[in-house]
Amino acid sequence: MQVISVRDLTKEYTDTDPPTRVLKGISFAIEQGSFVSIMGPSGSGKSTLLHLLSFLDRPTAGTYAFNGRDVTTLTDEDFARIRNEEIGFVFQSFNLLSRSSVYENVEMPLLYAEKVPATERKARIEEAIASVGLSEKLNLPAGKLSGGQKQRVAIARALVNKPSVIFADEPTGNLDSESGAQVMDILDDLNNAGHTIVLVTHETYTAEFADRIIRIKDGTVESDAPIITRRNSKNAFFK
Amino acid sequence: MRLRDTLATATKSLSHARMRSFLTMLGIVIGISSVIILMSIGQSAQDFIIGQVQGVGSNLVFVVPGGSGDSKFSAPASTQGIVIKTLVPQDVQALTREPSIKSATGEVRGLETVIYGDSNVNATYEAADASIFPMRDFATQKGFPFTKEDVAGYAHVAVIGYKLADTLFGAQNPIGKSIRIKNVSFRVVGVLESKGLGPLGVDQDNEVILPITVAQTQLAGLTYYQDLIIEAQPQYDINFVKDRIISVLRQQHGITDPNKDDFTVRTQADSVALLGTVTSTLTIFLTAIAAISLIVGGIGIMNIMFVSVTERTREIGLRKALGATDGEITQQFLFESTILTVAGGAIGILLGALIVTLIWLGVTRFTTIAWSFDFPLSAILIALFVSSATGIVFGLYPARQAAKKSPIEALRYE
Repeated sequence: MQVISVRDLTKEYTDTDPPTRVLKGISFAIEQGSFVSIMGPSGSGKSTLLHLLSFLDRPTAGTYAFNGRDVTTLTDEDFARIRNEEIGFVFQSFNLLSRSSVYENVEMPLLYAEKVPATERKARIEEAIASVGLSEKLNLPAGKLSGGQKQRVAIARALVNKPSVIFADEPTGNLDSESGAQVMDILDDLNNAGHTIVLVTHETYTAEFADRIIRIKDGTVESDAPIITRRNSKNAFFK
Repeated sequence: MRLRDTLATATKSLSHARMRSFLTMLGIVIGISSVIILMSIGQSAQDFIIGQVQGVGSNLVFVVPGGSGDSKFSAPASTQGIVIKTLVPQDVQALTREPSIKSATGEVRGLETVIYGDSNVNATYEAADASIFPMRDFATQKGFPFTKEDVAGYAHVAVIGYKLADTLFGAQNPIGKSIRIKNVSFRVVGVLESKGLGPLGVDQDNEVILPITVAQTQLAGLTYYQDLIIEAQPQYDINFVKDRIISVLRQQHGITDPNKDDFTVRTQADSVALLGTVTSTLTIFLTAIAAISLIVGGIGIMNIMFVSVTERTREIGLRKALGATDGEITQQFLFESTILTVAGGAIGILLGALIVTLIWLGVTRFTTIAWSFDFPLSAILIALFVSSATGIVFGLYPARQAAKKSPIEALRYE
């Protein structure tokens, strides 16, 4: 089943003179359970594409079907609900509330999820934190963690609502190679467990953890090819 | 987002900036406590003043010289320093003949030095008929009041307040001793029981009561009265008696046009209403001034909320990315500002209550003023309403600014 299907996706910013066309008709589909890397040099439009795919922004033209449903006409509230229920985010700069505890950070998406009963929360949060191996840091303020640990908390936060897709935007960009490897390892495990992952990166090395790479250049798809030998930390140069 | 979660999130955010939250709240605390204190003291003062007036006797009617025009609240001419000589003994005789009137007396007052031996004290004298004693509820703790015969016979007798007796005579018994006022000797025949402040704010415990006849001729040198006090028969409606007094005086003074009255008649109810208006106007005025500090506090809240929204741009972006709707972001920031103001309001009420209690303790312990402890419920309700409204009104704009942030921009914000 296709989780994401975009056709002729266009994005134009009209507040500049002349208007900037960042995306010029992008089409592709992402199957459920796949691990896709979106690559491209800076200015290629890959971040804009990620914003459109993750419901943070709207395209100027083109269609977007998410889980088989056309979403171009949905309201802002619908977008917020989809971001909450169907999407997990992992950002380059972690975006944790540094004074709040690990637990509270992971809890955040659940605060906006009306479908999840309050009684289920604790178990879900602890499970998500356990899956990134930080159970013993539960009550520590997020600001006290190392970069790698912060990114793992962010992954736990992305997981807690059991989303259909996890979007990771340069998740290793701010990490040393060892922490980066750990993070990629976790994403790899999540994919093996059935999660769909969309990774945006400009590092070929990181991109090769995926099973497919879509390269964007000047607002169009330059290439879209599967990876034959997928990288993972067990076979790679990490150790 | 559930209400409990919104509340918890807002409280957590505020507690992360404790000092700032406290300082922001301080403006509201000061504003609310000022409002509470002024409303409460205003109420106590009003109770006190009205109590004093009513304590004089509720079936008394006062006549002062000079008309007061149409409004019952405008001042009669005599209170503006104009000497009017129209109230005379014949008026009192005519009034006394009225069946609805129990007794009536003319009065003359003055401030003079009262001398006994080496001591001398400035004191108010109030000169009237012997009927002044039952009318004003003056009871003597020593000796007796002077009599009708004393008044008619120009007797040089005086009844003095107990404080004045203490000052002049100390441990001696004043009865039978002579005091001098303006070189006229008066024999003290009675000492009054404690009475407190009287009408016009005169300390009745420091007063000298004299027979009107002697005071008029030998102290004041007047042939007229400065005012009349009339006691109504209890079975008559006080306003009926007031009307009777007006028509008797008009007849006496030959007045046909009601607009040209040369006197003003006031019942106790009129005085109470007048004083009530004055004190409540004063209270409203003072409370309004205190309310300005609430507006200043509100602007402080708004200012801090703007700073907070800017500082937490990334947090707002993150929350939106994680699924918060614009409404939920607005709600969270509104909760934060409202928690600040409501908490500030609650602390303000407690602080106000504490200060009002201290004032009450101080006044009742160190003075003889019958100060009531008033902590009006309306003040508490107004304080709570105003503080939550302040939070909502001054928090709404910053909260909307927060909600309007685009999550992409907000997440990029450094």
